[in-house]
Amino acid sequence: MKALLATVISLALTTVVIGNAYYQKKQFYPSIVYLTNSNPSMAVMYLQAFILVLLVGKLLRKIFFGQLRPAEFEHLIERSWYAITETCLAFTVFRDDFNPKFIALFTLLLFLKAFHWLAEDRVDYMERSPVIGWLFHVRILTLLLLLANCDFYFIHHAYQFTASKGPSVQLVFGFEYSILIIMIVNILIKYVLHAIDSRWEAPWESKAAVLLYTELAINFLKVLLYIGFVAVMVRIYTLPLFAFRPMYETMRSFKKAYNDVVLSRRAIRNMNTLYPDATPAELAAADNECIICREEMHTGAKKLPCNHIFHAACLRLWFQRQQTCPTCRLNVLRAPVPDTTAAGGAAPAPRAPLAPNAAPAPPPAAGPVPPPFPNMPPPPPMMAWGIPPPPPPRPASLANLTTAELQRMEGNERRNIEARLQLLREIQAMLDASVLLMQQYSTVVANLPQNSTSVSTQTETQIEETRREPEEPVVKSEPDVVPTTSSYKSPSPTPSTSKTFAPSVLDGSSSQMPQTDTPTSIDSNRDKTDADADELRRRRLQKFAMDK
Amino acid sequence: MAGSALRRLMAEYKQLTLNPPEGIIAGPINEENFFEWEALITGPEGTCFEGGIFPAKLVFPPDYPLSPPKMQFICEMFHPNIYADGRVCISILHAPGDDPMGYESSAERWSPVQSVEKILLSVVSMLAEPNDESGANVDAAKMWREDRDQFNKIAERLVRKTLGLPPP
Repeated sequence: MKALLATVISLALTTVVIGNAYYQKKQFYPSIVYLTNSNPSMAVMYLQAFILVLLVGKLLRKIFFGQLRPAEFEHLIERSWYAITETCLAFTVFRDDFNPKFIALFTLLLFLKAFHWLAEDRVDYMERSPVIGWLFHVRILTLLLLLANCDFYFIHHAYQFTASKGPSVQLVFGFEYSILIIMIVNILIKYVLHAIDSRWEAPWESKAAVLLYTELAINFLKVLLYIGFVAVMVRIYTLPLFAFRPMYETMRSFKKAYNDVVLSRRAIRNMNTLYPDATPAELAAADNECIICREEMHTGAKKLPCNHIFHAACLRLWFQRQQTCPTCRLNVLRAPVPDTTAAGGAAPAPRAPLAPNAAPAPPPAAGPVPPPFPNMPPPPPMMAWGIPPPPPPRPASLANLTTAELQRMEGNERRNIEARLQLLREIQAMLDASVLLMQQYSTVVANLPQNSTSVSTQTETQIEETRREPEEPVVKSEPDVVPTTSSYKSPSPTPSTSKTFAPSVLDGSSSQMPQTDTPTSIDSNRDKTDADADELRRRRLQKFAMDK
Repeated sequence: MAGSALRRLMAEYKQLTLNPPEGIIAGPINEENFFEWEALITGPEGTCFEGGIFPAKLVFPPDYPLSPPKMQFICEMFHPNIYADGRVCISILHAPGDDPMGYESSAERWSPVQSVEKILLSVVSMLAEPNDESGANVDAAKMWREDRDQFNKIAERLVRKTLGLPPP
């Protein structure tokens, strides 16, 4: 209604102005001269031209797009405002060339840009639309062809003009239309992809990846163009302020596309190589629905390290946005490699990521056994326990917990992880202490059959001492005696596995513990002086064992 | 094959129609376009919004469910977490990465696990318990904190308005 009113008013004004001129001059040429010399008349004529452009725009829009959707309209208005502001900035650079032709060219540029935007929005809409008729294809293809032709024509014109007459405002036009041509290529690629996708019955899994790479390439081209343009403009004129906002946005989207490609590639590679395919049993145990697409999972489902199961295709799409588990937000790039036994892969290596003293531990089978020197200084505390004991078996009660409880337990926030680390460290310290104690007991028991005299009081203090200082092993080593210690192995499996220097023990043949293997430190002084005490201790312990 | 977004929206629509949660109605405005929904939310009982029926519009992005939809009430609202123009400001509607209020942890942001139903239930609980720390509407947040009676009066007026009743 408003548009109609504006059209009628401008038409009436133009008629009045022309009629007035003709009425005053009575002839064609004088009236034209009169019109061009009178500023108010020219203002009315410009207004009329503007209204005509708008009308033509509306007509073309009706032909190529039909009714615009509200979102498209909003988008158009928003982008137009930016474009108009930037055009005004461009005017300041080229104020010497300022004339009606110049304005007309800029208006045309804006006009064509608007159609590029609309075409882009319309092609993006293809993906969401349930039905796409042949009319849509005809319209889009014709429009793209027309726009591409216009762009080529103007680029050619700008090139010719610059080549023959030196740099001018045509540089800007050439550059702007080059950007538009790239945009057309982008739209065309998207259109082809969407069209292929809509023909296929099954979802096309790699479409999103292709789109991502296209975006990366297109943005790269644009960034190159912008940098080139700014360089040329700085050399010839001045800083092209009007190109900065689009340049910044292009660079940002290029950077984002680049990051997306890199991160998603990494996450998808992880997914393909590390994470196991979900087995039918696992699918049946869960509710068999992929939480991303809400469709049933039959094949091609992957299990993340956090045991959540999704379609591989859906995960791939999500990893292009974020590299986390959609359910629990576990960061799949930072997550540890999942237990490969589930995948039937390599045997799990004894890894000790939590042990603070894991680094100095030699590989179990490698290092030669150091001979037990009689005067060897006691090893620094905790050194000998490089390989932490294997994790205890999961308590069976976990099976009784509900899914919600389990999910609450497996939180991934910092405090949960810290709490877990703290607990593990405490467990390790306790295990170390008990291992030392057990070792002392076993050595003591090993010496039992030999001596059997008794000095009661001293032994008690000795044992007390060893209990108070579990970190300092005060253990005897007598290579000749190799008794079996199986009776003392049963309380805890940890002492056998945690001996760094005892390869045979790691192999599992730990029914007998050869004394030579234990990295015992020998307190030789006490050894010599307290022979009696040792005998007594042995007797005491023998009695102790019998009591048990 | 239509896009995965469309299929998921159709699935959610079916689910919401067969098994509607209490106090919530939602569906596409017209079935030609599954990317714009209208929802009716009843004010939770025992709160100042009790009894009101609040219409809202949901607009889904083409890459739904990878990106969150936008939600906007199309009636007048006065609430600490609703902008003056009706846009709803709750953390599960924000994609991880952008943080308009600067305090949300990524654990409470959008992920494909969320759904229309969960969004609408979150909005119901937001109506019941405003979060006055993230003030989308600062006036409302201030009034909620300092002058609860006045806030309740405004809420009552809005409830009557949505029901087409004259103001008290």
